[in-house]
Amino acid sequence: MPEPLALDVRGLTVRYGSATAVHDLTLAVPRGETVALLGANGAGKSSVVNAALGLFRPAAGTVRLLGREPAAALEAGGVGAMLQHGGLPSEARVGEVLALVRRRYDDPWPLADLVATAGIGGLLDHAVDALSGGQRQRVLLALALAGAPPLLLLDEPTSAMDVEGRQAFWTTMRGLAGRGHTVVFATHHLDEADAVADRVVVVAGGRVLADGTAAAIKSRIAGRTVRFRCPGPRDGLTGLPGVTGISGDADLVELTTSDAEATLRALLDSRTALPDLEVRGASLEQAFLHLTTQPDAAEPHATEGALR
Amino acid sequence: MTDLLLFQLRRVGRNKQYLFFTVLLPALFTIFFTKVIGGQAPAGEYQDLAGAVLVSMMAYGAIGAALGATIRIAFDRSSGWLRQLRVTPVPTGSVFAVDVMVGALLVLPSLLVVALVGRFVNGVEFGLGTWLALVGSLWAGSVVFVALGVAVGLALDAQAAGAAIGILGTVLAALGGLWFPVEMFPDGMAALARAMPSYWFAELGRDITAGTFAGPPVMVLAGYGVVFAAAALVVARRRPLHAVAG
Repeated sequence: MPEPLALDVRGLTVRYGSATAVHDLTLAVPRGETVALLGANGAGKSSVVNAALGLFRPAAGTVRLLGREPAAALEAGGVGAMLQHGGLPSEARVGEVLALVRRRYDDPWPLADLVATAGIGGLLDHAVDALSGGQRQRVLLALALAGAPPLLLLDEPTSAMDVEGRQAFWTTMRGLAGRGHTVVFATHHLDEADAVADRVVVVAGGRVLADGTAAAIKSRIAGRTVRFRCPGPRDGLTGLPGVTGISGDADLVELTTSDAEATLRALLDSRTALPDLEVRGASLEQAFLHLTTQPDAAEPHATEGALR
Repeated sequence: MTDLLLFQLRRVGRNKQYLFFTVLLPALFTIFFTKVIGGQAPAGEYQDLAGAVLVSMMAYGAIGAALGATIRIAFDRSSGWLRQLRVTPVPTGSVFAVDVMVGALLVLPSLLVVALVGRFVNGVEFGLGTWLALVGSLWAGSVVFVALGVAVGLALDAQAAGAAIGILGTVLAALGGLWFPVEMFPDGMAALARAMPSYWFAELGRDITAGTFAGPPVMVLAGYGVVFAAAALVVARRRPLHAVAG
């Protein structure tokens, strides 16, 4: 029998009342992979992570962690998680909280090494209520790592950290990935996904928009936009070299491109005038917006081949 | 589960406010009300008055301790701690069970301190058997307020829960005749008092000190206990422990 997937999400649909946060999403993560769920706020990343952890019952679909139901996998100690709305108890000391959780595992991460890895040296005697945001996040990381779990699910783990804290955190994650842990994390920072993940899954509107290596995704969404006034027909624009998408209004047209130079060359060859020409780097928000609106754009086929 | 129980007890023990309101305040009230009411009493009536104040204050302290310990569930939910625990191998059911045990256990120090103050500061004299029965039955009866506190703690968010501890404690004490005896109430309010679980909780204690232990307080308290426990179960189903606050 083949080894079960670390994370196996099939046909997941999550609804809050009448709003659907996740639509029929399927995601398979083999053991040992480091995967970023990249998406803007409200894209459905947290819903995927929370449903994967069994924190609520999905409207449809199944989730298996290391081949088990979420609750069973958590109870067996195979999964460590950092939640976006996770927290620490008031009126307790860091060491007490850590001891309480470590004791539940048959084979916990050795304390000295755990403390060093999570970067909470010197904090064990501290009152939880007196911790800074970054310190809290590191204690939550230590709790997630307490059982040396083969699978880590992290929901925007660096949101409360400063720049140095982030760097240290991702160095730790790379180390864990190097030791064979499977790490799945949600983020809205392209640079984090790029720096850490083997594989990036772009999520928007509760759907997987793109799934590939960090480099491939980066070139897709870290492209440039070429903008000019174009009141006339726009036939053929999407077929230009490098162009990955088209948007704009009645007057302005905006092309996203993975190769701005090739696109411009072709544009200059094919058109006599390019009024108000602008070339700029696409922000992640633009890229997300673009990817999100793509299926409804004039020529959706332009992107499909490149995305799959 | 023992480690979780000790963990929770240590946390409450660090909460100075909790200790003040559930142990120190009822003890001070016991002395204060006894001096005020008992001070003017004819010599022959002092024992009865001081005994009545003592029972009322034991009930008051026990209610505060039971509510204060269990409503804290709301704080642990709002802080995200219960959610965090949900993604560790700590079983959620044991968290719930431990909070009920913490509520029940913390009633005891409150009862004992007020009883000791009554005996040694105010000079209330009961037989040893009466003391034991009094503490034991009020401890058992406090389960009703543990159930109420769990229901409220599950239903409310941190801010509302913080206010609810004070408000519920005050309403139950004032309307249930724990601060001023029901005999001083006008008729309408006396009828209201006799509908409060706190009145019957104190009545249970009064029956024991009078040696007339009978069924009604036990039956009324059992009824309230069932209602509060059912309410707690209904709320727990609607708002699981790991749900985000709100």
